[in-house]
Amino acid sequence: MKKLMLALLGITLAGGAAAQMKPEEAIKFRQSAYATMAWNMQRIKANVEGAYNQDEVIKAANVIQSIANSGMGALYLPGTDKGKGWEKTRVKPALFTDKEQVGKLATNFNREANEMAKVAATGDAAAAKIQFGKLGETCKACHDDFRIKE
Amino acid sequence: MSSKRIRLWDLPTRLFHWLLVLAVIGAVICGQMGGNLIVWHGRLGLFIIGLVVFRLVWGLIGSTYARFAQFFPTPAKIRAYLRGEWREPGHNPLGALSVFGLLAVVGFQAASGLFVNDDIAFRGPLFDLVGKALSNRLTGLHHLAADLLYVLVGLHVAAIAFYARVKKNNLLLPMLTGTKEVEQGEDARGGGLLALIVAVLLALAAVYGASGAWLPKPPPPSAVDTPAW
Repeated sequence: MKKLMLALLGITLAGGAAAQMKPEEAIKFRQSAYATMAWNMQRIKANVEGAYNQDEVIKAANVIQSIANSGMGALYLPGTDKGKGWEKTRVKPALFTDKEQVGKLATNFNREANEMAKVAATGDAAAAKIQFGKLGETCKACHDDFRIKE
Repeated sequence: MSSKRIRLWDLPTRLFHWLLVLAVIGAVICGQMGGNLIVWHGRLGLFIIGLVVFRLVWGLIGSTYARFAQFFPTPAKIRAYLRGEWREPGHNPLGALSVFGLLAVVGFQAASGLFVNDDIAFRGPLFDLVGKALSNRLTGLHHLAADLLYVLVGLHVAAIAFYARVKKNNLLLPMLTGTKEVEQGEDARGGGLLALIVAVLLALAAVYGASGAWLPKPPPPSAVDTPAW
């Protein structure tokens, strides 16, 4: 019985270890998160440029805010500067070494994403348009510095 | 030798040149700033499509010194120029290389820009024709060619400065006034109103084509039945 328990414990521990994220998985999660944010950026854009639907913008801004505050840095495991998720990662190796700059850009993005959600909640279409631009600038800043130009 | 004043650059050529200067400066600034200005980057790109197409047509049916055939830089012409045996008015053979180089790179930037995406919320008007993978590739080239454009513009401006200071030849003024003192050569001819109308119409047609306005529109969201959750 004791042996059986130990065996089970061993399997459980092994299972726990196996549940640790694989590099490919981490890259997939990253790419999925960015794709989801792109969906919602396009949603906000459609609303600030066309007929403004406050509910739509709130939903979209909240998604981006959630992902921004989700601790996505955890997906940048050592060794995931190369490899394939849904597609080949386009991250520059510098993202893993230039921690200060990455941290600054990530903080800027988080701040503007939080602000976007706040502005969306007010229903002010003009303010949402301005904030959408500011948020997009923080996306671009990181793309410029840390994404490979194909 | 006596010099005389000739009509060198016709008004459409000069307008093209200075509008292109303004549009490229504006597009570079808007592209670098990003955010909501990316929309203006796209609009300026469409405008530049129109300018470049206008210039290509004007290079065929414009007035004398605007025509590509008049200044096409053949190796023989370049050799003659480098030996110091070039006296013709208009673009000299090296300047002609600059003209074709700048037109090619600016044209490439404007054309590739039609298919780009920034992975945020901006897509070129013809993005749907190529899909995401090719669009990413073209976006990369669009960024790389921007650096090439800076180099060519730098060379162009440096050459103008060199001609003004070292060779005592003011190239800037004729691009403003249209006339120049020369030792030999005739007034520019041709490129009348009809040619201008043709060139402008073709430029407008190109902008329309590039704008994607002719692409089938997706149905408005309200017309598509999707689950409420």
